[in-house]
This record gives sequence, C-alpha cells and structure tokens, in this order.
Amino acid sequence: MKKKIISLLMCAAMCIGLCSCGGTTSDSGSGPSDGAGSSSASDWDYIQNKGSLVVGITYYEPMNYLDENGELTGFETEFTKAVCEKLGVTPEFQVIEWSKKELELQSRTIDAIWNGMTVLEEKRDQMAFSTSYIRNKQVVIVKTENADKYTDTASMAGASIAFEGGSAGETAATSDDTLKNCKLINCEAQKDALMEVKAGTADLGIIDYVMALASVGEGTDYSDIKIIESVELTPEEYAVGIRLEDTETLAKINAAIDELAKDGTLGALAEKYGLSDVYALG
Amino acid sequence: MGFWEVTKQLADGFGVILIIFGITLLCSLPLGLIITFGSMSKFPPIKWLTKTFVWIIRGTPLMLQIILIFYGPGLIFKMNALPRMTAVLIAFVINYSCYFSEIYRGGIESISKGQYEAGQVLGMTKSQIFFKIVLFQVVKRIVPPMGNEIITLVKDTSLARVIAVAELVKAAENIVSMRSIIWPLFYIGAFYLAFSALLTVLLNFLEKKMNYYSG
Repeated sequence: MKKKIISLLMCAAMCIGLCSCGGTTSDSGSGPSDGAGSSSASDWDYIQNKGSLVVGITYYEPMNYLDENGELTGFETEFTKAVCEKLGVTPEFQVIEWSKKELELQSRTIDAIWNGMTVLEEKRDQMAFSTSYIRNKQVVIVKTENADKYTDTASMAGASIAFEGGSAGETAATSDDTLKNCKLINCEAQKDALMEVKAGTADLGIIDYVMALASVGEGTDYSDIKIIESVELTPEEYAVGIRLEDTETLAKINAAIDELAKDGTLGALAEKYGLSDVYALG
Repeated sequence: MGFWEVTKQLADGFGVILIIFGITLLCSLPLGLIITFGSMSKFPPIKWLTKTFVWIIRGTPLMLQIILIFYGPGLIFKMNALPRMTAVLIAFVINYSCYFSEIYRGGIESISKGQYEAGQVLGMTKSQIFFKIVLFQVVKRIVPPMGNEIITLVKDTSLARVIAVAELVKAAENIVSMRSIIWPLFYIGAFYLAFSALLTVLLNFLEKKMNYYSG
C-alpha cells in the first residue's frame, strides 16, 4: 500500500512538472499570437504589432556578412534596413540553416527570407516572392589544374559534381541532360561544394556567380579554384521570400522596393557591393 | 584573419556549448532519478507510461526532437516559437534524463537484496533505506557509465546547430564561409579534446573519492 502511495505521489510530481513546462510554453506563445494568429487580424498587423520584421539570413559575402568589427553588413543587410525604415518596423536579423528556410518561414520563426534567394518555380507553392532585384547565374567551378579538361558541359560527362541541395545549383545540375547523368553530390551549403572541389572529393562544383566571385581566386583558401567562364548554366533571379498568406506584407515590401529602385538608393547599394553587373532594377 | 581573432570568435561558440552542457547536466541528473522511480514503479500504469516515454525519447534522434520542439508549436498550433536556445535546452534535458534514468535503474537493481534486508532489520523505513544505504552505493557504481554519457553530451551539443544556434561547429563554419579559410573547422577539435580531457580528469578524481565501501 505504501509503495502505491509513493508511486502515486511520484506520478503527481511528474504531472506537475510536465504541466508547468507546458504552461510556460503556451504562455509565451499565446500572448503575441492573440493579436496575430487569429483570423480577423491581417498578416501586416501581426508584424506591425511586433514592431519588427524577423529576416532569415545566412552569412554570405557580399549579401549578409560580418565586417572586421563583427558588425553585420552587406548588400541585403542595407537593403533590408532601407525597406524596413520605409515600413516603419525594425529589422531583426536571424541566422538560419538555409536548408530549413521554408520550415522557419512556415513555423513563423522568421517573417521573410532575405539572403540572395533564387526564385524557383517549384517553390511558388511554399512561399511568395517579391519583385526580383538581381539577375544572377549558376557557374561551374573547378581546380585550376583541371580547368583544361572541362570546357563545355559535354566534357563534364562522368565527372562528380557538388552543389547545395535544394538550391538553384541543384536545379541547374538536374535539368541539364549531360550533368544529370554525372555523379551528383548533394551538399548542405554552397560553401560545402567549394570544400568538396578543394578537397578533391568532387571534380566540379556548381555555385552561384555572386558567391563564386566573392570566394575564389587570389588571397583566399580557394585560390587554386577557378570559374569555368565558358559554361553558363541557368540564369536566375533573386527575390525576398514571404509566407504565402502574407499578401499585405508582400505588397508593402514590393512598394518599398519600387521606391528604393526609383530614387536610386538600391542602385547605389549594388555598386557599393560590386553587384552592378547583376543588378536587375537599374 | 589571424589565429587570435579566430580563437576569440570561436570562444563565443564554446560559451554556448558550456551553457548547453551545464544546464542539461544540472536538470537531467535529478529529472533522470524521477523517471527512474517512474519506470521502477510497482503501479503498472505509471510504469508503462514512463517506459513508453523513455522508449520514444531513446528511440528517436535527438536532432529530430530539437527540430520538433522548435518548429512544432508554430507549424501545428500557429503559436510563436520558443527562443532557439530554450528549445535546444528542453530537448537536451528530456533526452539526457531518459538515458540517465536507465543508468540509474541499472545501478539500483545491481544492489543486492541483502542491503535492503539489513536496513529492515535495523528498523529503517523504505525511504531511509534508499537514501541512506542504497543511493550512495548506486552513485559509486554508476560513475563510469555516467562518465560515458557526460562526455557524449559534450559532443552532442553540436546538434544545436540544426536550428541555427551558433555553437562551436556552427561558429567555425561561419568563419569558413565568410573568410574563405578552412583551418578553423579542424581547429575546434582542440576545444572538444581539451574539454573532454578536463572532464576525464574530474571523473577519475570522483571515482577515487568514492572509494568507500571497497573490499
């Protein structure tokens, strides 16, 4: 009998423990979502009530990166700040895992993806895209010593190719008739594709032109890697990603981008970060 | 980027590891004991409920648990998410409590019946027997397996990166991607080695200290 009483007490203690855990979670959640999650309030009210737009980024030069003093800077950083200033909210930059960007957006842990994101048709049912502001392309990178072997896509047959899974690089590889029959290596991030090529575990890598320009060549650890300029893969456009249902927020962001493009602010930013060649709204 | 600058940036990541490690250990050690009592309960519903819970937690990857705790509330209930670090800590504490509980159970069950009988002969109550006779012997016996688990915890902290908590591996990767230098990624191995060396020394010391009841 005594044993039973003790075990019941233990059970009660566990229940209380669990309840108090659950209690705190729902407390911290229900407060803000009362004004936001309910269907009557609009998506923009949710962001305005918070006073901040949480923007998902990854560190990636020249888009969003830390400068010598450890301050976040870059084309997208300044762009986001300018748009948020027009919208009257504070930007809050949140570093995310790129492969989980859709999950972050849908679970409301971020409000926008603003990090040189490629507009992909197959992602249109997962998020809404803003006006695109950069026209980029995917390029093939190779170790300098092997550069002569690969001059066009036909010569790449049978090679191993690394790219970031779920990125435009993967689309470029799988949509090309020759490349899709190569040995494809699906990496976690674009930088891993660089590392694969550097380490010799992949013959070729597919990354975007903006990233390639910033990270390979003289003065980097990737100085023995070069871009195969003669091969141009699918052109692509960069845009901001927003939750599908956040139509009002999207309209406001688009209007702000439009204004910034017209008054020349955005063009000046593109020039500052060496992106004039790919800037799309000039 | 120089050696000291990199070390300074990595120190932040190391701080995150220490927080995850410290809080997980602090909360899991007692919570594990409560779960042990649950799974050793003579009252079947509690026993099976606890055992099922332990099975679920031990049977799924910690990485998946972290993802579920962080993204789940927003995806399923449209709630605002917990802070990233809180989600990581909840997942780690629950996960490690379950593993610890099984180690405790093994320790408790290894104590011979004679010890309980001796306590009864001396007229001690059930709880007196457990806390005054059994527990100390259990603590002594479980130090090696607990040491194993504790050192695993040091390295498991790297799982926090799945929800973009900048622990040591992520901190090194950030440097790799931003500065186009690769060596920091391998340099962090030294941090883990130093930390586990310290823990090994501490655990050995603890084992020596507990040399009572020997012979």
